[in-house]
Order: sequence, then structure tokens, then C-alpha cells
Amino acid sequence: MDGIHDLGGKHGYGAIDVDEMDLYKIGEAFNHDWEAREWGISRCARTPNINIDWWRHCRELITPVDYLSRPYFDTWVQTDFATYVDGGFFTVEEVCSGHSNLGSNPLDEAPPKPMSKAEAVIADRQNAYRFDKKINQLPFFSIGDQVITNPHGHCGHTRLPQYARNRVGKIHALNGAHVFPDLSSQGLESHQHLYSVVFEIGDLWPDSNNKHDKVFLDLWETYLSIND
Amino acid sequence: MVEFNAKKVAVLHQHLHSHLPSESALRVKALETLLVEKGLINSASIDAWIEAYTEDIGPKRGAHVVAKAWNDADFRQRLVQDGSSAIDELGYLGNATGHLKVIENTESVHNLVVCTLCSCYPFSILGIAPAWYKAAAYRSRAVRDPRGVLAEFGVQISNDVEVRVWDSTAELRYLVLPQRPRNTEALSEDELASLVTRNSMIGTDRDLVKKDAVKA
Repeated sequence: MDGIHDLGGKHGYGAIDVDEMDLYKIGEAFNHDWEAREWGISRCARTPNINIDWWRHCRELITPVDYLSRPYFDTWVQTDFATYVDGGFFTVEEVCSGHSNLGSNPLDEAPPKPMSKAEAVIADRQNAYRFDKKINQLPFFSIGDQVITNPHGHCGHTRLPQYARNRVGKIHALNGAHVFPDLSSQGLESHQHLYSVVFEIGDLWPDSNNKHDKVFLDLWETYLSIND
Repeated sequence: MVEFNAKKVAVLHQHLHSHLPSESALRVKALETLLVEKGLINSASIDAWIEAYTEDIGPKRGAHVVAKAWNDADFRQRLVQDGSSAIDELGYLGNATGHLKVIENTESVHNLVVCTLCSCYPFSILGIAPAWYKAAAYRSRAVRDPRGVLAEFGVQISNDVEVRVWDSTAELRYLVLPQRPRNTEALSEDELASLVTRNSMIGTDRDLVKKDAVKA
């Protein structure tokens, strides 16, 4: 979708907070307790039967004013609310009141047992998800092919940013077939060859001063055509 | 059960905009309370994950990977060939590193990583991302004016060095392998790791020779 989340190349967002402290240097990871809570929640519970692409799309759908002005992890909270409501686990009334109306377990399972830190560290290793799969179809493009990206997006979730549409680049690497987010975000799993595509920065931004610098994007096969 | 209904979610967000408490802490509390009441989560496990990502999982892991690559040419080769299997040797494979690509800085190349569409980050080796990485200012400018962004971080790149920006648009995640500082041949792996900054592994830092570091 041509939403507020698609920030590449946009002007007017001001200075970067380059003086922000590396919290890990003082043994911390979070600026606020509530951020830590949301991180913990995101690690041990996610709406059943959803996938990362639908979750990302739900974050993109946050009203633009909230997307830009709410703190980062706050937008995760709002996204979680959205996926739980869409999945039928929460009602809007429950979200707004902050309490469950039913008091029953919607999964009809025993509540999860508490985890220790050591178990969380092990669980994190098991979270090294892979998104690739062997498919019968051979990759259409080869390294070095000159390609042009699609000129238009669509209203759903997609990973071809606006700034890289209708641009000429070159196939830099083949990465196998990966879950295609445009369909996965609709609950339809399919795999497509994924390419790392390199663009001359001057082809993306004619006003760029260093035209030999490069920008690499990872793009799916149907985002691309051969540039004749 | 899941509807994947974008229209419904967009309307829901408008509703939440008007009806959620404005304080973030209250919003998270409401989410945790609902999940506990519905038997979907255990609060002690939330604590465990926070501790794991504060004490065990963080940029120290990435710094160890970099130091080992500087010290061990075979490991470096494996790391650049297949980042995920190489970090698995150290027990660091995990959240968002199932497809890890390690990109090397050289005398003539500088790499910079961004996610313009959301905020993708290799969590299991770098921990929680800095706020600037997730903010609009960095995400908007890194692909358009990388040299300007680097200058803002105090990193001057000469014109004969090529800047390569990696926009994390898929499930591949990137770790920059910074150059080994000069005159560090005598240092141990731990001492080398202490020279590696979090930002150098994202690409917003380049020259790791620091005055205070040389003393070590």
C-alpha cells in the first residue's frame, strides 16, 4: 500500500538522534519499562494463525498521525490489538476497557507455564525461522541481468518501496524462493524467487551527488521484468 | 478464524486512535491484562524474555562474531558465505537471523543497513535496535543521502570509497563486518570485541581505531 510507512527518500523528518546512548553499554536494553513489557509480550505470545506479513500490514494500517507520532513500541501494541481483534480473540470493547468480558480461555487450552530466562534464550534459538523453500520453477533471472521494477504498487501489503518503482537495476544475487509477502499477508502462502537487486543511487535519485554509490533491495520475481 | 481483513483493521485503528488511553504504559498494561485474563500469556515469561534480551542477547554477540572473523580466516569465510550457519557455531542463531548476510567493509567499500518499510533488524546478534534506527529521519534518508546520514554520525567517507546501502525489504538480515583496526595484532578476541561498536555493525560507524581503545 502507498502508506505512511513507506519512508524511503521522503523529506522533512529532520535530524537523526545520533547522540542516543547505546543502552547495552550500561547493561540496559530499553528506555522504558513499558517498552520492555511490549517486547516480552511480542516474544511469548502472538495471535495464533497469523504470519509476520499480516502483522506488518496491520502496523502499516495504523492511522498516519499515530504511525508517525506514537512511540515505536506503542505502534506494536496497537498492531497486536488489531491482530487479536481480527483473529476473534479480543473484542473492540475489551481492548478499550482493558479487561476481558468472558474470562474464558479462547484457545481452550491450559494457560502457558512460566518460562525462565534460560528457557527464553533457548526459545530464541528456535525462533530462527526460515522463509525459503525449494520450488520446481527455476529462477527467471540470472546474476547480471538488467531488470526494471514494476511501475505501480497495490492497496495491499507489498515490499517494493515507492522509491524503487519503475527503476532499472541489476540482479546481484539469487536467494532461493521465499514466502511472497503480497499474498502471505492475505493468508495465502506461496513462494517466489527472491533476488538481491542493485541500483545505482543516481538512477534512484537524479539529484544525488555521489552517483556511483549503490542501493541494494531484496525483491521478488513478480516485482521485476527484463529491461529491454 | 483470522480474517486478514485490512479494511476492518484500518477502521479499528481509527477507533483505537480515539478510544485507547494516550499513555503508552497504560496501553501495554491493557494488552498484558487481556492476554493474562484470556490465558494466552504468562507474565513471568514476559519477565524472562526481557532479561534474556537485556543480559544475554545483544550487540555483544555481534561484536564477538566480528572479533572472531578478524582473528580466524576460516570462520570469516564461512561467515561471509552463510552468516546463519556461522553464527550458529557460536550459539547465536535466533530471532530474525535465519537468513543472515554478512557484508564486509573494505578500504574502498562502506556498507550501511536500513529498513525503509518497517524496522527489520538481526535481533539475535544485535539485540534491541536503537531508537534512531526505527525513526523516520533515518529510514527516510539512508537510501537517498547516505553520505549525509554518515556525516551526521561523524563518519566522513572520501569520494573514492563506494557507499552501499542495504534496504532490508525481505527476510534477509544484514550485519556489517567492519574493518579490523590497525595495530591490534596482539589483542585477544575479547579485547578485539570490545573495540566493536553496535553502530559499526549497522554501518553508521566506520573507523574503529579510537584513542582510548589503542591503550587497551
